[in-house]
Amino acid sequence: MNYLKPSTVEEATELLGSSQGMILAGGTDACVYMAEGFCDPETLIDIGAIDSLRGIETQPSDDGDVLWIGACTTISEIEASEALPRALRQGAHAIGSPQIRNLGTIGGNICNASPCGDTLAPLLSLEARFVLRSATGTRTVESADFFTGPKQTVLQAGELLECIDLPIDSCEWISAFRMIGNRNGQAISQVNAAVSTKLEGGVIQAMRAAVGSVAPVPLRLPQLEGALVGKTLQSVQWADLKAPIMAEIRPIDDVRSTATYRQELAVTLIFDALMDCARQDESARKGADT
Amino acid sequence: MNLHFICNGQAVQIDVEPNARAIDVLRDVLGLTGTKEGCGRGECGACTVLLDGKPVNSCMVLAGKLEGRTVLTIEGVAGADGSLHPIQEAFLDVGAVQCGFCTPGMVLSTKALLDENDSPTIDEIEDALSGNLCRCTGYGKIVDGVLEASERLAQGTQEHGAKP
Ligand SMILES: Cc1cc2nc3c(=O)[nH]c(=O)nc-3n(C[C@H](O)[C@H](O)[C@H](O)COP(=O)(O)OP(=O)(O)OC[C@H]3O[C@@H](n4cnc5c(N)ncnc54)[C@H](O)[C@@H]3O)c2cc1C
Ligand code: FES
Ligand code: FES
Repeated sequence: MNYLKPSTVEEATELLGSSQGMILAGGTDACVYMAEGFCDPETLIDIGAIDSLRGIETQPSDDGDVLWIGACTTISEIEASEALPRALRQGAHAIGSPQIRNLGTIGGNICNASPCGDTLAPLLSLEARFVLRSATGTRTVESADFFTGPKQTVLQAGELLECIDLPIDSCEWISAFRMIGNRNGQAISQVNAAVSTKLEGGVIQAMRAAVGSVAPVPLRLPQLEGALVGKTLQSVQWADLKAPIMAEIRPIDDVRSTATYRQELAVTLIFDALMDCARQDESARKGADT
Repeated sequence: MNLHFICNGQAVQIDVEPNARAIDVLRDVLGLTGTKEGCGRGECGACTVLLDGKPVNSCMVLAGKLEGRTVLTIEGVAGADGSLHPIQEAFLDVGAVQCGFCTPGMVLSTKALLDENDSPTIDEIEDALSGNLCRCTGYGKIVDGVLEASERLAQGTQEHGAKP
Protein backbone atom coordinates (compact mmCIF):
# COMPACT_ATOMS: atom_id res chain seq x y z
CA MET A 1 0.00 0.00 0.00
CA ASN A 2 1.14 3.55 -0.74
CA TYR A 3 0.82 5.92 2.17
CA LEU A 4 1.07 9.59 1.26
CA LYS A 5 1.14 12.40 3.78
CA PRO A 6 0.80 15.78 2.07
CA SER A 7 1.51 18.89 4.13
CA THR A 8 -0.63 21.34 2.14
CA VAL A 9 -4.14 21.21 0.66
CA GLU A 10 -2.74 21.92 -2.83
CA GLU A 11 -0.49 18.89 -2.54
CA ALA A 12 -3.39 16.79 -1.23
CA THR A 13 -5.76 17.66 -4.08
CA GLU A 14 -3.02 17.03 -6.65
CA LEU A 15 -2.27 13.61 -5.15
CA LEU A 16 -5.98 12.88 -5.00
CA GLY A 17 -6.41 13.83 -8.64
CA SER A 18 -3.48 11.77 -9.87
CA SER A 19 -3.73 8.67 -7.66
CA GLN A 20 -7.47 8.35 -6.95
CA GLY A 21 -6.34 7.30 -3.47
CA MET A 22 -8.57 7.14 -0.41
CA ILE A 23 -8.51 10.02 2.04
CA LEU A 24 -7.60 9.29 5.61
CA ALA A 25 -8.39 11.99 8.19
CA GLY A 26 -8.61 10.73 11.78
CA GLY A 27 -8.94 7.17 10.52
CA THR A 28 -11.59 6.02 13.02
CA ASP A 29 -14.02 4.93 10.32
CA ALA A 30 -11.36 3.98 7.77
CA CYS A 31 -9.43 1.73 10.21
CA VAL A 32 -12.60 -0.19 11.02
CA TYR A 33 -13.34 -0.65 7.30
CA MET A 34 -9.81 -1.89 6.66
CA ALA A 35 -9.86 -4.18 9.71
CA GLU A 36 -13.18 -5.66 8.58
CA GLY A 37 -11.88 -6.08 5.03
CA PHE A 38 -14.58 -3.77 3.60
CA CYS A 39 -11.89 -1.84 1.80
CA ASP A 40 -8.26 -2.36 0.90
CA PRO A 41 -7.12 0.90 -0.69
CA GLU A 42 -4.05 0.86 -2.90
CA THR A 43 -3.19 4.40 -1.87
CA LEU A 44 -4.02 6.26 1.33
CA ILE A 45 -3.75 10.04 1.41
CA ASP A 46 -3.42 11.08 5.05
CA ILE A 47 -4.62 14.69 5.35
CA GLY A 48 -4.42 14.67 9.15
CA ALA A 49 -1.16 16.64 9.28
CA ILE A 50 -2.29 19.57 7.12
CA ASP A 51 -2.34 22.55 9.51
CA SER A 52 -4.54 24.74 7.31
CA LEU A 53 -7.35 22.15 7.53
CA ARG A 54 -7.59 22.60 11.26
CA GLY A 55 -9.18 25.23 13.45
CA ILE A 56 -12.29 27.27 14.21
CA GLU A 57 -12.39 31.00 13.43
CA THR A 58 -14.61 33.85 12.26
CA GLN A 59 -14.02 34.78 8.63
CA PRO A 60 -15.64 37.18 6.17
CA SER A 61 -17.39 35.63 3.16
CA ASP A 62 -19.54 36.81 0.23
CA ASP A 63 -22.72 36.16 2.27
CA GLY A 64 -21.63 37.86 5.50
CA ASP A 65 -19.36 36.58 8.25
CA VAL A 66 -19.10 32.84 8.80
CA LEU A 67 -17.66 30.65 11.48
CA TRP A 68 -15.03 28.64 9.60
CA ILE A 69 -14.30 25.07 10.73
CA GLY A 70 -11.41 23.21 9.08
CA ALA A 71 -12.37 19.70 7.96
CA CYS A 72 -9.64 18.06 10.06
CA THR A 73 -10.67 19.76 13.31
CA THR A 74 -11.10 16.91 15.78
CA ILE A 75 -14.41 15.99 17.34
CA SER A 76 -12.85 16.82 20.76
CA GLU A 77 -11.97 20.30 19.55
CA ILE A 78 -15.55 20.81 18.30
CA GLU A 79 -16.95 19.61 21.60
CA ALA A 80 -14.69 21.99 23.56
CA SER A 81 -15.12 25.15 21.47
CA GLU A 82 -17.21 27.83 23.17
CA ALA A 83 -17.48 29.68 19.85
CA LEU A 84 -19.68 26.91 18.41
CA PRO A 85 -23.45 26.49 18.80
CA ARG A 86 -24.63 24.13 21.51
CA ALA A 87 -26.31 21.64 19.14
CA LEU A 88 -23.04 20.98 17.33
CA ARG A 89 -21.06 20.66 20.56
CA GLN A 90 -23.66 18.28 22.00
CA GLY A 91 -23.61 16.23 18.79
CA ALA A 92 -19.81 16.02 18.97
CA HIS A 93 -19.94 14.94 22.60
CA ALA A 94 -22.31 12.10 21.69
CA ILE A 95 -19.71 10.50 19.40
CA GLY A 96 -17.92 7.38 20.61
CA SER A 97 -15.50 7.80 23.49
CA PRO A 98 -12.84 10.37 24.44
CA GLN A 99 -10.28 8.24 22.56
CA ILE A 100 -12.39 8.22 19.38
CA ARG A 101 -13.18 11.94 19.69
CA ASN A 102 -9.47 12.79 20.01
CA LEU A 103 -8.78 11.02 16.70
CA GLY A 104 -11.97 11.49 14.68
CA THR A 105 -12.59 14.66 12.69
CA ILE A 106 -15.72 16.58 11.75
CA GLY A 107 -14.83 16.22 8.06
CA GLY A 108 -14.61 12.45 8.53
CA ASN A 109 -18.00 12.36 10.23
CA ILE A 110 -19.50 14.32 7.31
CA CYS A 111 -17.79 12.45 4.45
CA ASN A 112 -18.44 9.06 6.01
CA ALA A 113 -22.10 10.03 5.53
CA SER A 114 -23.61 7.51 7.89
CA PRO A 115 -27.33 8.33 8.31
CA CYS A 116 -26.69 8.29 12.08
CA GLY A 117 -23.59 10.53 12.13
CA ASP A 118 -24.02 12.69 15.20
CA THR A 119 -22.79 16.02 13.79
CA LEU A 120 -25.01 15.84 10.70
CA ALA A 121 -28.41 16.84 12.11
CA PRO A 122 -26.78 19.75 14.00
CA LEU A 123 -25.01 20.94 10.82
CA LEU A 124 -28.27 20.79 8.83
CA SER A 125 -30.14 22.68 11.54
CA LEU A 126 -27.44 25.40 11.45
CA GLU A 127 -27.61 25.63 7.63
CA ALA A 128 -23.92 24.81 7.38
CA ARG A 129 -22.26 25.02 3.97
CA PHE A 130 -19.52 22.64 2.90
CA VAL A 131 -16.58 23.84 0.79
CA LEU A 132 -15.35 21.11 -1.57
CA ARG A 133 -11.98 21.43 -3.24
CA SER A 134 -10.21 19.67 -6.09
CA ALA A 135 -7.03 20.40 -8.02
CA THR A 136 -9.07 22.51 -10.41
CA GLY A 137 -11.17 24.63 -8.06
CA THR A 138 -13.63 24.88 -5.18
CA ARG A 139 -17.41 24.77 -4.91
CA THR A 140 -19.78 25.29 -2.02
CA VAL A 141 -22.66 22.91 -1.27
CA GLU A 142 -25.50 23.37 1.25
CA SER A 143 -25.30 20.70 3.98
CA ALA A 144 -28.87 19.63 3.15
CA ASP A 145 -27.83 18.88 -0.46
CA PHE A 146 -24.56 17.09 0.32
CA PHE A 147 -25.88 13.66 1.30
CA THR A 148 -27.37 11.48 -1.42
CA GLY A 149 -27.76 8.12 0.35
CA PRO A 150 -26.25 6.00 3.12
CA LYS A 151 -22.47 6.50 2.77
CA GLN A 152 -23.08 8.52 -0.39
CA THR A 153 -22.42 12.17 -1.05
CA VAL A 154 -22.02 14.62 -3.92
CA LEU A 155 -18.21 14.47 -3.52
CA GLN A 156 -16.69 13.65 -6.89
CA ALA A 157 -13.49 11.80 -7.68
CA GLY A 158 -10.58 14.10 -6.92
CA GLU A 159 -12.57 16.26 -4.48
CA LEU A 160 -12.12 16.65 -0.76
CA LEU A 161 -14.03 18.54 1.92
CA GLU A 162 -11.89 21.51 2.87
CA CYS A 163 -14.00 23.30 5.47
CA ILE A 164 -17.43 23.92 6.92
CA ASP A 165 -18.91 27.42 6.99
CA LEU A 166 -21.55 28.25 9.59
CA PRO A 167 -23.45 31.48 8.88
CA ILE A 168 -22.77 33.72 11.89
CA ASP A 169 -26.44 34.51 12.55
CA SER A 170 -27.27 30.81 12.87
CA CYS A 171 -24.61 30.61 15.57
CA GLU A 172 -26.53 33.21 17.54
CA TRP A 173 -29.76 31.19 17.56
CA ILE A 174 -30.53 28.91 20.49
CA SER A 175 -29.94 25.28 19.58
CA ALA A 176 -29.87 21.80 21.04
CA PHE A 177 -29.17 18.18 20.03
CA ARG A 178 -30.55 14.92 21.36
CA MET A 179 -29.88 11.27 20.64
CA ILE A 180 -31.06 8.19 22.38
CA GLY A 181 -28.47 6.96 24.84
CA ASN A 182 -26.63 10.28 25.07
CA ARG A 183 -24.74 9.29 28.20
CA ASN A 184 -23.87 5.80 26.99
CA GLY A 185 -20.26 6.11 25.90
CA GLN A 186 -20.28 4.05 22.74
CA ALA A 187 -23.95 3.75 21.81
CA ILE A 188 -24.54 4.43 18.11
CA SER A 189 -27.60 6.65 17.69
CA GLN A 190 -30.82 4.92 16.79
CA VAL A 191 -32.22 8.34 16.08
CA ASN A 192 -30.73 11.77 16.62
CA ALA A 193 -32.20 15.23 16.24
CA ALA A 194 -31.19 18.87 16.35
CA VAL A 195 -33.17 22.10 16.47
CA SER A 196 -32.14 25.71 16.30
CA THR A 197 -34.53 28.48 17.14
CA LYS A 198 -34.69 32.25 16.77
CA LEU A 199 -36.71 33.57 19.68
CA GLU A 200 -38.07 36.91 20.76
CA GLY A 201 -39.66 37.09 24.19
CA GLY A 202 -39.95 33.30 24.08
CA VAL A 203 -41.88 33.37 20.77
CA ILE A 204 -40.48 31.34 17.87
CA GLN A 205 -39.60 33.76 15.03
CA ALA A 206 -37.92 31.07 12.95
CA MET A 207 -36.71 27.56 13.52
CA ARG A 208 -34.87 24.74 11.82
CA ALA A 209 -35.04 21.09 12.72
CA ALA A 210 -33.20 18.06 11.40
CA VAL A 211 -33.19 14.35 12.20
CA GLY A 212 -30.79 11.51 11.51
CA SER A 213 -31.33 7.75 11.06
CA VAL A 214 -34.96 8.03 10.00
CA ALA A 215 -34.23 8.14 6.26
CA PRO A 216 -31.27 7.22 4.01
CA VAL A 217 -29.87 10.73 4.59
CA PRO A 218 -30.18 13.23 7.45
CA LEU A 219 -33.33 15.30 6.86
CA ARG A 220 -34.54 18.84 7.42
CA LEU A 221 -38.18 19.04 8.58
CA PRO A 222 -39.72 22.09 6.82
CA GLN A 223 -43.33 21.20 7.68
CA LEU A 224 -42.52 21.13 11.36
CA GLU A 225 -40.50 24.33 11.09
CA GLY A 226 -43.46 26.14 9.50
CA ALA A 227 -45.98 24.75 12.00
CA LEU A 228 -44.19 26.17 15.05
CA VAL A 229 -43.44 29.74 13.96
CA GLY A 230 -45.40 32.27 16.03
CA LYS A 231 -45.87 29.92 19.01
CA THR A 232 -44.16 30.37 22.34
CA LEU A 233 -41.63 27.64 22.94
CA GLN A 234 -43.11 26.99 26.39
CA SER A 235 -46.53 26.20 24.89
CA VAL A 236 -45.30 23.54 22.45
CA GLN A 237 -46.75 20.09 23.20
CA TRP A 238 -45.43 16.67 22.17
CA ALA A 239 -48.70 15.99 20.34
CA ASP A 240 -48.31 19.16 18.19
CA LEU A 241 -45.09 17.80 16.76
CA LYS A 242 -46.26 14.34 15.84
CA ALA A 243 -48.23 14.97 12.63
CA PRO A 244 -45.74 17.30 10.90
CA ILE A 245 -42.80 15.04 11.78
CA MET A 246 -44.56 11.83 10.72
CA ALA A 247 -45.39 13.46 7.40
CA GLU A 248 -41.71 13.86 6.58
CA ILE A 249 -39.71 10.96 7.93
CA ARG A 250 -39.27 7.51 6.44
CA PRO A 251 -37.64 5.28 9.04
CA ILE A 252 -36.86 1.64 8.40
CA ASP A 253 -36.95 -1.55 10.45
CA ASP A 254 -33.44 -2.86 10.99
CA VAL A 255 -31.32 -4.75 13.49
CA ARG A 256 -31.16 -1.77 15.81
CA SER A 257 -34.86 -0.91 16.06
CA THR A 258 -38.27 -0.82 14.36
CA ALA A 259 -39.71 1.96 12.21
CA THR A 260 -42.53 2.68 14.68
CA TYR A 261 -40.10 2.99 17.55
CA ARG A 262 -37.92 5.35 15.51
CA GLN A 263 -40.92 7.54 14.63
CA GLU A 264 -41.96 7.98 18.25
CA LEU A 265 -38.35 8.53 19.19
CA ALA A 266 -37.89 11.27 16.58
CA VAL A 267 -40.87 13.17 17.99
CA THR A 268 -39.65 12.79 21.55
CA LEU A 269 -36.08 13.83 20.74
CA ILE A 270 -37.22 16.95 18.88
CA PHE A 271 -39.55 17.79 21.76
CA ASP A 272 -36.75 17.30 24.26
CA ALA A 273 -34.36 19.44 22.20
CA LEU A 274 -36.99 22.22 22.05
CA MET A 275 -37.38 22.07 25.82
CA ASP A 276 -33.59 22.37 26.13
CA CYS A 277 -33.85 25.55 23.99
CA ALA A 278 -36.67 26.82 26.23
CA ARG A 279 -34.54 26.35 29.33
CA GLN A 280 -31.56 28.09 27.70
CA ASP A 281 -33.80 31.00 26.67
CA GLU A 282 -35.30 31.28 30.12
CA SER A 283 -31.95 31.37 31.87
CA ALA A 284 -30.58 33.86 29.31
CA ARG A 285 -33.56 36.15 29.95
CA LYS A 286 -33.25 35.78 33.72
CA GLY A 287 -29.57 36.62 33.41
CA ALA A 288 -30.44 39.72 31.35
CA ASP A 289 -32.98 40.90 33.99
CA THR A 290 -30.59 40.81 36.91
CA MET B 1 8.96 4.12 5.96
CA ASN B 2 11.47 5.55 8.33
CA LEU B 3 9.56 6.66 11.40
CA HIS B 4 10.73 9.02 14.15
CA PHE B 5 8.79 9.67 17.31
CA ILE B 6 9.20 10.02 21.06
CA CYS B 7 8.04 6.99 23.03
CA ASN B 8 8.03 7.12 26.82
CA GLY B 9 10.51 9.99 26.75
CA GLN B 10 12.97 8.36 24.37
CA ALA B 11 13.56 9.15 20.73
CA VAL B 12 12.68 6.15 18.56
CA GLN B 13 13.72 5.60 14.97
CA ILE B 14 12.41 2.50 13.22
CA ASP B 15 11.59 1.23 9.77
CA VAL B 16 7.97 0.07 9.43
CA GLU B 17 5.16 -0.27 6.93
CA PRO B 18 3.31 3.07 7.20
CA ASN B 19 -0.05 1.29 7.22
CA ALA B 20 0.93 -0.93 10.16
CA ARG B 21 -1.14 -0.13 13.21
CA ALA B 22 0.45 1.80 16.07
CA ILE B 23 -0.50 -0.99 18.48
CA ASP B 24 1.55 -3.48 16.45
CA VAL B 25 4.52 -1.12 16.28
CA LEU B 26 4.43 -0.68 20.05
CA ARG B 27 3.94 -4.35 20.92
CA ASP B 28 5.78 -6.22 18.19
CA VAL B 29 8.55 -3.82 17.13
CA LEU B 30 9.26 -2.02 20.42
CA GLY B 31 8.28 -4.93 22.70
CA LEU B 32 5.96 -2.73 24.78
CA THR B 33 3.38 -5.40 25.47
CA GLY B 34 1.68 -3.50 28.31
CA THR B 35 -0.60 -2.05 25.62
CA LYS B 36 -3.34 -4.66 25.13
CA GLU B 37 -5.48 -5.54 22.16
CA GLY B 38 -9.09 -6.38 22.97
CA CYS B 39 -11.33 -5.66 20.02
CA GLY B 40 -9.10 -4.06 17.39
CA ARG B 41 -12.12 -1.91 16.42
CA GLY B 42 -11.89 1.17 18.67
CA GLU B 43 -14.48 -0.07 21.11
CA CYS B 44 -12.81 -1.47 24.23
CA GLY B 45 -10.00 0.96 25.06
CA ALA B 46 -7.56 -1.79 26.14
CA CYS B 47 -5.10 -0.38 23.59
CA THR B 48 -5.30 3.21 24.92
CA VAL B 49 -2.06 5.21 24.79
CA LEU B 50 -1.52 8.96 25.15
CA LEU B 51 -0.68 10.66 21.85
CA ASP B 52 0.65 14.18 22.49
CA GLY B 53 -0.92 13.82 25.94
CA LYS B 54 -4.39 12.79 24.76
CA PRO B 55 -5.88 9.30 25.04
CA VAL B 56 -6.40 7.51 21.72
CA ASN B 57 -7.04 3.90 20.64
CA SER B 58 -3.71 2.66 19.29
CA CYS B 59 -5.57 0.07 17.18
CA MET B 60 -7.15 2.98 15.22
CA VAL B 61 -3.86 4.81 14.53
CA LEU B 62 -1.69 3.97 11.56
CA ALA B 63 2.06 4.02 12.16
CA GLY B 64 2.52 6.84 9.65
CA LYS B 65 0.54 9.12 11.95
CA LEU B 66 3.15 8.75 14.71
CA GLU B 67 5.84 10.66 12.80
CA GLY B 68 7.17 13.53 14.93
CA ARG B 69 4.72 12.91 17.77
CA THR B 70 4.93 11.89 21.41
CA VAL B 71 3.54 8.60 22.72
CA LEU B 72 3.14 7.49 26.32
CA THR B 73 2.40 3.82 27.00
CA ILE B 74 1.84 2.17 30.37
CA GLU B 75 5.57 1.30 30.49
CA GLY B 76 6.33 5.03 30.65
CA VAL B 77 3.94 5.77 33.52
CA ALA B 78 5.95 4.22 36.36
CA GLY B 79 9.19 5.88 37.53
CA ALA B 80 12.52 5.00 35.89
CA ASP B 81 13.40 2.97 38.98
CA GLY B 82 10.22 0.92 38.61
CA SER B 83 8.35 2.70 41.41
CA LEU B 84 4.65 2.82 40.69
CA HIS B 85 2.83 6.01 39.76
CA PRO B 86 0.33 7.23 42.40
CA ILE B 87 -2.51 6.27 40.02
CA GLN B 88 -1.20 2.70 39.84
CA GLU B 89 -0.77 2.56 43.63
CA ALA B 90 -4.28 3.89 44.21
CA PHE B 91 -5.75 1.32 41.78
CA LEU B 92 -3.98 -1.51 43.65
CA ASP B 93 -4.91 -0.22 47.10
CA VAL B 94 -8.65 0.13 46.43
CA GLY B 95 -8.93 -3.11 44.43
CA ALA B 96 -9.53 -1.56 41.01
CA VAL B 97 -7.58 -4.36 39.33
CA GLN B 98 -8.86 -7.89 38.87
CA CYS B 99 -7.64 -9.70 35.74
CA GLY B 100 -5.74 -6.54 34.78
CA PHE B 101 -6.38 -6.63 31.04
CA CYS B 102 -8.16 -3.26 31.01
CA THR B 103 -5.82 -1.71 33.57
CA PRO B 104 -3.12 -0.16 31.33
CA GLY B 105 -5.82 1.62 29.32
CA MET B 106 -7.72 2.66 32.45
CA VAL B 107 -4.54 4.07 34.01
CA LEU B 108 -3.70 6.08 30.87
CA SER B 109 -7.25 7.47 30.51
CA THR B 110 -7.08 8.38 34.21
CA LYS B 111 -3.72 10.07 33.75
CA ALA B 112 -5.04 12.15 30.85
CA LEU B 113 -8.03 13.18 32.99
CA LEU B 114 -6.02 14.08 36.10
CA ASP B 115 -3.40 15.96 34.06
CA GLU B 116 -6.19 18.36 33.03
CA ASN B 117 -8.50 18.24 36.02
CA ASP B 118 -7.01 17.51 39.44
CA SER B 119 -10.33 17.12 41.29
CA PRO B 120 -12.82 15.47 38.92
CA THR B 121 -16.41 14.67 39.90
CA ILE B 122 -17.78 11.14 39.54
CA ASP B 123 -19.60 12.25 36.37
CA GLU B 124 -16.38 13.59 34.90
CA ILE B 125 -14.57 10.36 35.79
CA GLU B 126 -17.29 8.23 34.18
CA ASP B 127 -17.13 10.39 31.07
CA ALA B 128 -13.34 10.18 30.87
CA LEU B 129 -13.43 6.37 31.26
CA SER B 130 -16.41 5.82 28.93
CA GLY B 131 -14.12 4.42 26.23
CA ASN B 132 -12.54 1.81 28.51
CA LEU B 133 -14.43 -1.43 29.05
CA CYS B 134 -13.83 -3.69 32.05
CA ARG B 135 -15.32 -7.17 32.23
CA CYS B 136 -14.34 -7.83 35.85
CA THR B 137 -14.72 -5.02 38.34
CA GLY B 138 -18.15 -3.53 37.63
CA TYR B 139 -16.35 -0.14 37.44
CA GLY B 140 -17.20 0.96 41.00
CA LYS B 141 -13.71 0.24 42.31
CA ILE B 142 -12.12 1.85 39.28
CA VAL B 143 -13.99 5.10 39.95
CA ASP B 144 -12.88 4.80 43.60
CA GLY B 145 -9.32 4.31 42.38
CA VAL B 146 -9.43 7.50 40.31
CA LEU B 147 -10.86 9.48 43.25
CA GLU B 148 -8.19 8.06 45.54
CA ALA B 149 -5.46 8.87 43.02
CA SER B 150 -6.69 12.45 42.64
CA GLU B 151 -6.54 12.92 46.42
CA ARG B 152 -3.08 11.41 46.68
CA LEU B 153 -1.78 13.52 43.81
CA ALA B 154 -3.25 16.66 45.43
CA GLN B 155 -1.59 15.75 48.75
CA GLY B 156 1.66 14.97 46.98
CA THR B 157 1.76 18.37 45.34
CA GLN B 158 0.95 20.02 48.68
CA GLU B 159 3.70 18.14 50.49
CA HIS B 160 6.28 18.76 47.82
CA GLY B 161 4.93 22.20 47.02
CA ALA B 162 5.76 21.38 43.42
CA LYS B 163 2.85 22.65 41.39
CA PRO B 164 0.68 25.62 42.37
C1 LIG C 1 -15.78 2.75 18.45
C2 LIG C 1 -16.36 3.79 17.55
C3 LIG C 1 -17.46 4.53 17.96
C4 LIG C 1 -18.02 5.51 17.13
N1 LIG C 1 -19.11 6.20 17.57
C5 LIG C 1 -19.69 7.13 16.77
C6 LIG C 1 -20.86 7.83 17.21
O1 LIG C 1 -21.35 7.63 18.31
N2 LIG C 1 -21.40 8.74 16.36
C7 LIG C 1 -20.86 9.00 15.13
O2 LIG C 1 -21.38 9.85 14.42
N3 LIG C 1 -19.76 8.34 14.69
C8 LIG C 1 -19.17 7.41 15.48
N4 LIG C 1 -18.05 6.72 15.04
C9 LIG C 1 -17.56 6.96 13.69
C10 LIG C 1 -16.37 7.91 13.52
O3 LIG C 1 -15.58 7.98 14.68
C11 LIG C 1 -16.80 9.31 13.12
O4 LIG C 1 -17.57 9.24 11.96
C12 LIG C 1 -15.58 10.23 12.88
O5 LIG C 1 -16.01 11.58 12.91
C13 LIG C 1 -14.90 9.95 11.56
O6 LIG C 1 -13.85 10.88 11.38
P1 LIG C 1 -12.38 10.40 10.94
O7 LIG C 1 -11.58 11.63 10.78
O8 LIG C 1 -11.85 9.39 11.88
O9 LIG C 1 -12.72 9.73 9.53
P2 LIG C 1 -11.84 8.78 8.58
O10 LIG C 1 -11.97 7.38 9.04
O11 LIG C 1 -10.47 9.33 8.42
O12 LIG C 1 -12.65 8.99 7.24
C14 LIG C 1 -13.99 8.57 7.09
C15 LIG C 1 -14.39 8.62 5.61
O13 LIG C 1 -14.48 9.94 5.15
C16 LIG C 1 -13.52 10.21 4.13
N5 LIG C 1 -12.97 11.54 4.46
C17 LIG C 1 -12.50 11.94 5.68
N6 LIG C 1 -12.19 13.25 5.65
C18 LIG C 1 -12.45 13.69 4.40
C19 LIG C 1 -12.32 14.97 3.75
N7 LIG C 1 -11.89 16.06 4.42
N8 LIG C 1 -12.69 15.07 2.45
C20 LIG C 1 -13.16 13.98 1.77
N9 LIG C 1 -13.31 12.74 2.33
C21 LIG C 1 -12.94 12.60 3.63
C22 LIG C 1 -12.53 9.08 4.18
O14 LIG C 1 -12.01 8.80 2.90
C23 LIG C 1 -13.39 7.94 4.70
O15 LIG C 1 -14.10 7.36 3.65
C24 LIG C 1 -17.46 5.75 15.85
C25 LIG C 1 -16.33 5.02 15.44
C26 LIG C 1 -15.77 4.05 16.27
C27 LIG C 1 -14.57 3.29 15.82
S1 FES D 1 -8.19 -2.97 20.95
FE1 FES D 1 -8.24 -0.89 20.43
S2 FES D 1 -10.11 -0.28 21.25
FE2 FES D 1 -10.19 -2.41 21.58
S1 FES E 1 -9.91 -6.02 35.54
FE1 FES E 1 -10.42 -7.56 34.09
S2 FES E 1 -11.14 -6.39 32.44
FE2 FES E 1 -10.93 -4.91 33.95
